[in-house]
Parts: sequence; C-alpha cells; structure tokens
Amino acid sequence: MLRLLPWEYGIRNLLRKPARSALTLVALATVVLLILVVVAFIRGLETSLATSGDSRTVLVYSIGAAADIENSSIPARTAGLLAASLEGVGEVFEQRLVSPELYIGTKVQTIPDGPGMFGIVRGVTPATPLLRKQVQMLEGNWPGPHEILVGKLSAAKLGCDPGELAIGMTIRFDNRDWTVSGRFAAGGAAFESEIWAPLESLQTALKRQDISLVAVGLAANADSSDVELFCKERIDLELQGVTESAYYAALQQHYQPVRMLGWVVVLLVAGAGIFAGLNTMYGAVVGRVRELSTLQAIGFRRRSIAISIIQEATLLSMAASLLAATIALFLVNGTAVRFTMGAFALRVDSLAILVGSSVGLLLGVAGAIPPAAKAMRYEITEGLKAI
Amino acid sequence: MRSKHLYLVVCGLFFCSAVLVGCSKSDPNSGTGASAAGSKFLLTAEPQNAKGIKEARGSTQDAEEITVVGRIGGDTDPWVKGQAAFLVVDTALKPCNEKDDDACTTPWDYCCDSDTLPDNKAMVKFVDANGSTVATDARELLGVKELQTVVVQGKAKRDESGNLTLLATGIFVRN
Repeated sequence: MLRLLPWEYGIRNLLRKPARSALTLVALATVVLLILVVVAFIRGLETSLATSGDSRTVLVYSIGAAADIENSSIPARTAGLLAASLEGVGEVFEQRLVSPELYIGTKVQTIPDGPGMFGIVRGVTPATPLLRKQVQMLEGNWPGPHEILVGKLSAAKLGCDPGELAIGMTIRFDNRDWTVSGRFAAGGAAFESEIWAPLESLQTALKRQDISLVAVGLAANADSSDVELFCKERIDLELQGVTESAYYAALQQHYQPVRMLGWVVVLLVAGAGIFAGLNTMYGAVVGRVRELSTLQAIGFRRRSIAISIIQEATLLSMAASLLAATIALFLVNGTAVRFTMGAFALRVDSLAILVGSSVGLLLGVAGAIPPAAKAMRYEITEGLKAI
Repeated sequence: MRSKHLYLVVCGLFFCSAVLVGCSKSDPNSGTGASAAGSKFLLTAEPQNAKGIKEARGSTQDAEEITVVGRIGGDTDPWVKGQAAFLVVDTALKPCNEKDDDACTTPWDYCCDSDTLPDNKAMVKFVDANGSTVATDARELLGVKELQTVVVQGKAKRDESGNLTLLATGIFVRN
C-alpha cells in the first residue's frame, strides 16, 4: 500500500516561499489568460457567423457577385417577381417574407468633419426583422425617412464612442445626414455591427434603383430548391439562391485560416507555458533535494514524493486557471472586436473555459513530472549531503 | 473429339460477347445509370430534327412541343438540388476545357463565353402528370452528368423576358 504525503504538505510548501509561488501563479495565470483570449476570439467569430444564418431563409443575389453580397446588384423588381412566382414563400402577420435589401460598405462619419470609418449599411424594409428573427429592438423606434437603426456592435465596427451613436445623434454617410432612431441587438449575429436605413432613403442617397439581394423566408412545406429553380429558370436576371446558413458557412470556410492560426497560437502559448512551469518547478525541486531525501529516509517512497510534487504544481496551476478564468469572464467576455465583415464579441464560453483549464492542468502536471523524476534519481545518502 | 468441344465453347463465348457488345451499341441509354423511376423518361432512339438552344430560344412559342439538343452546363452548378432539372447550353459553344491552354476545373460553366452564354442557355425540367417538377435529383433520376450532350423532348415554356424552359417528357443521352 502506497503511503502518500499529507495534502497539507504541498500547500504549506507553496506558502513557504510566497513570493516565488505568487510569481509562478501570475506567470501561469498569464499563460492561461492568453489562451482564453485566443479561444474566446475563435469562438466569438464562429458564433457570430453561425448565428447569422437561418436554413429557412434563402438569399437571392447576383451570380456575378460570387460569394460576396456586397458586390451584388440585381433589379429591384426581383422581390416582386419572387413573391408572385414562388408558392413556398412564408407569411407572418399577413406580411410575405420577402425582404429586398441593399447591402453596402461605406465611409461613415460619426462626428462632423471627422475622418470617418468603414461601416456596413443595410437598406431594409419592415419585412427584414420578420426574417431575421434574432433581431430585437433595444431602444427607440423603427427608422423613418433619413433615420437609421444602429446595431449593438456598430460603434465597435466604426471604432467610435458608443455615445456618438446614441438615439437622436446624427451621423453622415453617402453625402447625407442620418439621425439615429433606435438600437438593436441580434443575439451575437453579424447584423449587430450593421447600420440599418430605410431601403428607399438609402437608394435615394446612393442614386441607385437596384438592390443587392432579396431574402426569402420559406413556408413550412417549401424547400430552398424551389427558389434555386426559380433563379436558374430566370436566366435573364442572372440570379443565384443560397440558404442563409450555407452563405455564412461559406464565410466560415473563408475565415478557416484565421481560426487555424488561432489554434496554433493556443498550442504555442501552451508550449511556452509548460517550459515556464518546468523552469519554476525545477528551481523548486533542486532547492529541496535534502528535504526530499529526508522524506525518503523516514520511510516515504519515491513515488509518494513525486506525487506530492505534482500535487503541489497542479494546485498552483489550477489556482492560476481559476484566476485567469475569473479575469477573462469579467474583463474579456463580450469585448467587441472589429473585423472585415463587421464586429463580433469575444466569447468566454464553456468550451473556452474547458480549453483554458485543461491547458492549466497540463501546465501543472507536465511541468512537474520531469523535475519530480529528476529529484527521485538522487541516492538518499547523496541527497542528505546536498547543500 | 475433346478439341472439337473446346472449339465450340470458344465460338459460343465469342458469339455471346458479340451479341452483348452489339446490344449496348444499339442503345446508348442503357448504360447511363438511370433509376427505375427515371427510365420512363429515357428514349431508346435519338429524336430527329432537334433544334439548337439558341435557335429554340429565337423561334419557339409558349406551349409548343419541341425537341432540343444541348450540353449540360452553363453554371458552376447546373443542377437544382433534389429536383429533376438542369441547365443546357447550345452545342455551338465550346466548354473551356475544349479550348487551347485552359485548365479550368469546372469547364461546364462556360465561363469563357459569359457574354454570349445567356442567349445560348435553357432550363430543362422533368415534370410528372400534374405538371410538377419530379422531386428527385436529375443525376440520380437520369444518370446524367455535366457536359453530356442530350436531346430532350417536351413542351416549351416561355416568359416575357425570352427565357426558355423545357417541360421535358423524354431524353436521349447522345454521349
């Protein structure tokens, strides 16, 4: 029967040199925090694109636009044609789920004569929020002529103070002033970083009669292939129909290298953390060779002592993980990050905590095993004479 | 006596092989891999006087019975998922892989002729007795694939923008 050292022995050892333990704790917590930030970035990006797409909504846009609706231009009558030709269009509150939209990237000035930042503006109709069920009004009203709704993350996208997009404030884009009439959230979807303006007002401001896309909500018995068939039959319009979920899944693929890079960073940071932990634990063990040999002399087996050293390191690394997770939840979670398509919030979710804590555990165990093995290689007589 | 038997067996095998090869040549559609439900649309002989797609777009009236010949393509994805429908292109247009120095991975999209493509393209959809499109993917139903030349019989459906859709009742796969 293996007789283990008491649990308190490890705890007392950590408190014996509090400064060193505290520094190691901070180093390990920094490593875990870095990992949590990277995983939160990946999860935020994934969630933003995943929650944006609905498999019962089909986006109809120009074939020539490839996979980017910003480049799409289709006749405005397409919406009416779709509504009249398709039997499988859904209906809510006697409103057909056909939403013509204009989607543009443009320079937005939030302060007069300011430099302006690149923002995403969507021309919308009252059918738009019926299709985008994630959208919720936070405050204010639906926009009238030359008014706009701003998404929860649009200030992050524009890199401005959220106060500059408060209700009643005026911003300028496409040579026209627009007054903020309300704010909306969209459950973490990409819409949250957009500015929504009434379609007609936006078309007038841009001197455009075309639209970028038509979003079609399918009835319960309809299939997206009905819309696809319509698009392929109307050769003159050069349309394509893609489910919204497939559109955002394709964007996920587009951002795959970024996500892969994120996971590589996680591995590199974890690797660096393990080496830092190894260094600290080597220092801790080498300075205690006599003590460890004494434990052997009074009857504790080498394996028990090695387990105690691993316990000590694991305790420290798990405390560091707890500290890092607390900081991440309070300071990192929800922080808005700007990217080409808009903005998204960092998500310290259960997966991020799991990855962070697992790396923390790995830092403790893997960082303690080599020093513990080294300590066990000393002969008792040699160890007792060590300085 | 024994060598005579062997001679007869060899001759018999040769005869059977010749018959089988001959049969397969006389009916190219038998090897297309069409499903049982799709076999009713397959024609055993090629219909005569088929029009090219461009000619059909120019001269065909709505609801007219016609026969057209074309190659499956005209889009990166010429199929309609889950439905017996596909796009065909006039045989006068050459897909990208049949042009010099072109290594296009989707030659059936005719991307080299994007300017003239709309006037040379039509939709073919196979309909049931109720006039609804058959809800089986054309590749599965008829065993067809991109760039195959097909001769299709059916009723023309025209719209005010000049688009041509063929409500098909029969198909012959030329190659």
